[in-house]
Amino acid sequence: MKLQTKINIRFLAVTFLVFSVAGVLFYFALDKVVDQNIREMLESRKAYILLNLQQNTPTSESIESPDHSIFIKRIEKMQQYIVFSDTLAYDQEEKELIPFRKMTFSVQSGDQYYEVILLQSLLESEDLQMIIFSFMTVLFGIVLLALFFLNRWLSNKAWNPFFKSLSVLNSWKIGESQIVSFDQTDISEFDQLNSTLENMMQKIQADFVNLKEFTENASHEIQTPLAIIKSKLEMVLQDKTLNDQQYQRIRAAFESTNRLSKLNEALLLLSKIENRQFVETSEIDICALVQSRLEYLEELIVLKQIEVTVHLETQVAYRMNPLLADILINNLLSNALRHNKEKGKINVSSKNQKITISNTSEQVEMDVSRLFRRFAKQTTSSESNGLGLAIAHEICNSYNIELSYRYLNGMHCMTIGQKS
Amino acid sequence: MIEDELALCETIVSYLEEEGYRCEQAGTVELGSEKVNLYEYDCMLVDIGLPDGSGLSLIKELKKCHPETGIIIISAKNSLDDKISGLDLGADDYLTKPFHLPELNSRIKSLLRRRKFEGKQELVIDKITIQPENRQVFVGLEQLPLTRKEFDLLMFFVSNRGRVLTKESIAEHLWGDFADSADSFDFVYSHIKNLRRKLFERTKTDYFQNVYGTGYTFIA
Repeated sequence: MKLQTKINIRFLAVTFLVFSVAGVLFYFALDKVVDQNIREMLESRKAYILLNLQQNTPTSESIESPDHSIFIKRIEKMQQYIVFSDTLAYDQEEKELIPFRKMTFSVQSGDQYYEVILLQSLLESEDLQMIIFSFMTVLFGIVLLALFFLNRWLSNKAWNPFFKSLSVLNSWKIGESQIVSFDQTDISEFDQLNSTLENMMQKIQADFVNLKEFTENASHEIQTPLAIIKSKLEMVLQDKTLNDQQYQRIRAAFESTNRLSKLNEALLLLSKIENRQFVETSEIDICALVQSRLEYLEELIVLKQIEVTVHLETQVAYRMNPLLADILINNLLSNALRHNKEKGKINVSSKNQKITISNTSEQVEMDVSRLFRRFAKQTTSSESNGLGLAIAHEICNSYNIELSYRYLNGMHCMTIGQKS
Repeated sequence: MIEDELALCETIVSYLEEEGYRCEQAGTVELGSEKVNLYEYDCMLVDIGLPDGSGLSLIKELKKCHPETGIIIISAKNSLDDKISGLDLGADDYLTKPFHLPELNSRIKSLLRRRKFEGKQELVIDKITIQPENRQVFVGLEQLPLTRKEFDLLMFFVSNRGRVLTKESIAEHLWGDFADSADSFDFVYSHIKNLRRKLFERTKTDYFQNVYGTGYTFIA
């Protein structure tokens, strides 16, 4: 939810609540005042009538005032109580039934008893309520509009530095951009936020550079002794006086050194991918890449007598680092080739921005949960270092591409496709 | 040879001296700079990460006083930036540690051929004549048709005549960074088999010798 929307909703809710409560309270208060007023009016009229009736006895049985507001009639017995009640009566002027307050009391005039009924129109008080209600509604609307515009103005004005910082953060890429600096704002909290962000980004950048240097230096330090071991062993291998057993032993040491140096390279690559050190990206045509890798592997494919079927109907293109794309496709294809059997098959097909590389193999279905883990070799072969798929998986991860495995009709299928 | 790792330096130098080169060593930029300014060399091998600076500065210096000297960078950093800046400065080649000695040897030979003879030198090995520039091989006057890989393979062996070439170094020479040990060994085997057969058919000589489980030697 957007900040502005959220604030607007809160404003709306609070204003609505305040206005409803205030409206109700206001209504009751006014109602009370009006009621009091009417009662007082009736009381004063009663006093006036009492006075009049005490001095003059009415001549007829019943009297009605011309505006129908006073009605006097003779009764047999004195009633001691005064009754207030609400009633509807037809009003000549308004030409409709309108509410009235009715006051009924008895009075003695001479030796006669009379019942007096006083009527007071409540129309005015109803009008008042109407006016209050519409006034409140209009006010509510005005306040809402005012709040809306205030909020908009505020978020454009006061929150502006915040949104600026946000866009700076969004465009910031670790290792790629230089240290960003935020503009001075006139709001101290934002200045505080910006300076905290600046410090954090500087720290992150420094850590990143340190880590990058460390991994590179560590690999450098390991590669140099490896280079020495390798070259010394190579020199020893040149010795013509060695017997077969000695050759075999040196050979084993040489092989292990080679594996170690390949492993070191692979681990370095993996950490570089994880550290997002391959920042340069371009649109890579995966189909073309697959074709060129297949051409590159062709001699080997012929050697292993493997039948390759390629169905690249749709274009598949991802935005990624060219070197990593190369490594990804190479790892998948050489895996398909390495774990294949003699006279096996490799199928490559593309569909809906997805590429599937499937191959036959001596091995049965793999355990998916372990497949992409480092060193999780599921074969006993010492030829693979157990990092190929981990690297492929990490490359895919860093570009939001999904690498999935399926075992279908005796074929091991690796599919890469953009994550939805 | 400018390299601060003494053990590595010694091995490389002794390998190259067996090939008949005269080598001088320096372990620092300062020492290297002194030698570069004093003498004229055919080829300089230089490590980028030296204790007192970057080997790149030596390349700049050498390019100023002896631009005709060949330069090969040997670095432990397989970093594209270093590679590009090194080659931009005028280095001829770039090798990443750990490399195979025969690979270095073959690169030096090819560099010297390009520099000294503009590649027009003909190599004559026993009954075989090789024209590296147009990648042609003759036996007698008759041209021997070879595939691209077979030619590369022959050049690699010829450059390291009499040496034991391991399967790994051959695979890496032919395949570069993407050499995948297991697969490429079969590949190496099949290419050597073909090359050997082609040469044998024409020359009636078997130039290749198997070295027990390790690799091959080219004898001529």
